Amino acid sequence: MWAGRVDEGYVFGGLSATCVETLKGVPMLLESADERVRARLLPDTCVDAEDEDQWRRHAVPELERLFSSRAQLVRRDLAAMRPLGASGTQLLLIPNHHVNAWLAALNAARLALFALNDLEARHLEADGMATATAKQQEALLRIHVLAEMQAVLLGDYEIESGGSLAEWDPDAAPPA
Amino acid sequence: MPAFAATKEATETRSAPKTELAPPWNVVVHDDPVTLMTYVTKVFVQVFGYAQERAHRLMMEVHQTGRSVVWTGAREQAEVYVQKLQAFHLLATLEVVDG
Repeated sequence: MWAGRVDEGYVFGGLSATCVETLKGVPMLLESADERVRARLLPDTCVDAEDEDQWRRHAVPELERLFSSRAQLVRRDLAAMRPLGASGTQLLLIPNHHVNAWLAALNAARLALFALNDLEARHLEADGMATATAKQQEALLRIHVLAEMQAVLLGDYEIESGGSLAEWDPDAAPPA
Repeated sequence: MPAFAATKEATETRSAPKTELAPPWNVVVHDDPVTLMTYVTKVFVQVFGYAQERAHRLMMEVHQTGRSVVWTGAREQAEVYVQKLQAFHLLATLEVVDG
C-alpha cells in the first residue's frame, strides 16, 4: 500500500485484496451490534444511574445516527474505488472534505477489532504478535494497516502534493 | 394526621429562600491503548479549540496517568463536549466536581 496527496484529497494505492477487505469492514464495524463493540463506542458515561439513563435516552441515539451516516459516507468512497492499472490492486480516493469522517471511522474500526478479538495493550507492543493467537495476529495486522492510513490523514508522514488525480496516469508512478 | 400537617407547615415557614449554585462538571478522557496519540491531540484541538501545545500536554497526561480532566464547567456544556469526544471515539466520561 502506498499513499499520495492530490488536489482532491488523499489517495491510497496498491491496495491488495486483503486491504480492500479490511477497508470494507470499516463501516460494518462502525455499525456493529456486538455488545463488546457497542460498549466501547458508546461507553458508560455517568456515575449516577439516573444520569446514565438520561444519557442513553438522549445522547446515544444521536451518536448512533452520526455513526450510521459516517458509515454510509465511507461506503460511498469505497464503492468508488477503482483498479490500479494492470497491477490487480485498487486505488481509493478520500476527498478532502471526508478526511475527518474517515479518521473517526478508522479509529472506530480499530477499536472494534481490538474488542472483538480479546486483544490487550501488550499485543500492540513491538513483540505483541508473538504472544497472539493466529486470529488475533490477523486482527492486529488489520489494526496496523488502518493505523497507517490514519497516520497519513493526520499528517504524521510528510507527503507532497502530486497535482490533480484526474490528470494522473494510473500506470505511472504514484503521485508524490 | 393533623399533627403531621402542622409540622410540615412549620418547617416550610422556617425555610429561608436559598439559591444554590449548580456544581461544575468535569469532562474526563481515559486512556486506551488503540487510539493514536496524534489523533487524540487533533480531537482536543478540534473539539475545544485548544492550542496545539495545550492539547498535546493533555494527551500526554491521558497517556501517562490513564486519565485527564480536559474541561470543567456547566453541566450542559460538559455533556456537549463529552458527546463530541465520543463522536470521535475517545473514551470520555462526565463527573460532578465534589464540594
